[in-house]
Amino acid sequence: MDSNALRVTVEEKTFPAVEDRPEQVVLSAVDLNVEEGSFVVITGPSGCGKSTLLNIAAGLDEDYRGQVAFSQANAKLSFMFQTPRLLPWRTVAQNIRLVLDDDCPDGDKRVAAILDRVGLSEAATAYPERLSLGMQRRAALARAFVVEPDILLMDEPFVSLDDPSADSLRTLLIELWASKPTTVLFVTHDRTEAVMLATRLIRLGGKPAAIVQDTAIELSADERLDREKVLAYRMRLFDND
Amino acid sequence: MALENNTIRTGRVGRGITGKVLVGRLGWTVISFLTLLVLWAVVAAIMQSRLFPGPLEVGDKLLSEAASGELFYHVGLTLGRVAAAFIAAMAIGCAIGIALGRAKGADLFFDTWLIFFLNLPALVTIILCYVWFGLTETAAILAVAINKIPNVAVTVREGARSLSRDLNEMSEIYRFGFWKTLRHVTLPQLAPFFAAAARGGLALVWKIVLVVELLGRPNGVGEQLHIGFQLFDVSMILAYAIAFIVVVQVIELCVLQPLEARANRWRR
Ligand SMILES: Nc1ncnc2c1ncn2[C@@H]1O[C@H](COP(=O)(O)OP(=O)(O)OP(=O)(O)O)[C@@H](O)[C@H]1O
Ligand SMILES: [Mg+2]
Repeated sequence: MDSNALRVTVEEKTFPAVEDRPEQVVLSAVDLNVEEGSFVVITGPSGCGKSTLLNIAAGLDEDYRGQVAFSQANAKLSFMFQTPRLLPWRTVAQNIRLVLDDDCPDGDKRVAAILDRVGLSEAATAYPERLSLGMQRRAALARAFVVEPDILLMDEPFVSLDDPSADSLRTLLIELWASKPTTVLFVTHDRTEAVMLATRLIRLGGKPAAIVQDTAIELSADERLDREKVLAYRMRLFDND
Repeated sequence: MALENNTIRTGRVGRGITGKVLVGRLGWTVISFLTLLVLWAVVAAIMQSRLFPGPLEVGDKLLSEAASGELFYHVGLTLGRVAAAFIAAMAIGCAIGIALGRAKGADLFFDTWLIFFLNLPALVTIILCYVWFGLTETAAILAVAINKIPNVAVTVREGARSLSRDLNEMSEIYRFGFWKTLRHVTLPQLAPFFAAAARGGLALVWKIVLVVELLGRPNGVGEQLHIGFQLFDVSMILAYAIAFIVVVQVIELCVLQPLEARANRWRR
């Protein structure tokens, strides 16, 4: 057994023609080996197929040629979507409790602990639609972590937040990730965010899209929280753009 | 920059507006109700006809029917039939609606059937049920339910078609399984459609039940109306009609509205 948690191989992913739009080959010859405990960030131009790749890895999309292999049988997945996708008719605490098994012995305690961790203890009994978007995202993050996933998939989970909220969520994510090492696949447009979070950065590009860049990011946990260092690293990495 | 007076908007809290609106609404209901009564009394006084009794005569009739126990007996029986037919129609209609909304092939196939039953006149269903199953209680309730099922199915199908894919993916990722998904994800999304079906359903069911009773039952409000018709006893017809309207309004206010408020408490 190697130290890879996950291997996603997409020989070809095609979306069939719809009405006025011809058939589209979105991904081709993508082979992604994800090392156990690494934080892999995927970037690339809008519409290139990042979400498609993540959906394939999650098993939500099965219409592709290729395969997804996990090192562990029955690996536990979490997915943090671009929108929070909380159940509006259940309270924040119920939303999080629901992803644990009903007969999970310390379920309520785990929910309380994770809510405390993301700073939502006060909002536990509130319905999601009465919270700000930032708080809903926190709840979604808590839900993703409470199951203690083997693999965490995140599709632009912090877009359309103001900078301070997004930053505090990123810091929270780094802390959560550090306290319980998890394999993460994270999609984003934001290069600063990418450098701040990634241990390995993957760029998709071309049409159909393939991996065009694959770089390790060597920053310590402290350096990641230092904005100057992150920006400098980003400058070096993407020099002129 | 100076703030012009006419661009200032003041918040509502502390101005006593909410309270006033509520009292105003109740007041209007009372006024409108009294006006209707007075209008009725005036027209009856002008007509001076046995076939157009005034509110006092109808009220008398209502009291005497209530005193003899007849009123409660018949209204109770009719309500029982309404409840039975309503529950059967909701259960079967919802099941059909969800199935059709989820399975595209079934929907295409059964659409024609649904249109057929939607357009089948209530009277035809009632007559056929009595002819085929005899003048029995079961036939009566079946006839009412069959009239109602297609409406419920169509309403609920609309809901099942618009179920959120996003939430479905979420429940798939977190391995909710069938029952958890049904209870926490699917049914809450369908709740507004159930409510709409129930609302329209009750209104339709209680009207059809009266026809069913009139045509083939030895008791119930419909049968009393039939007797009133044969005797040209308009007081009796109106007394039963009013009693029924009151009962239906009470059910609406005390059962349906609180249920709906509970189901909607998570909304902003
Ligand atoms: N269900 C679908 N049917 C047809 N085409 C689709 C479908 N979903 C996505 N596509 C197409 O596939 C391509 C890749 O979409 P995808 O959502 O994966 O892009 P993305 O990289 O996540 O973009 P963004 O950064 O804007 O989120 C796009 O060109 C899109 O139009
Ligand atoms: Mg996307």
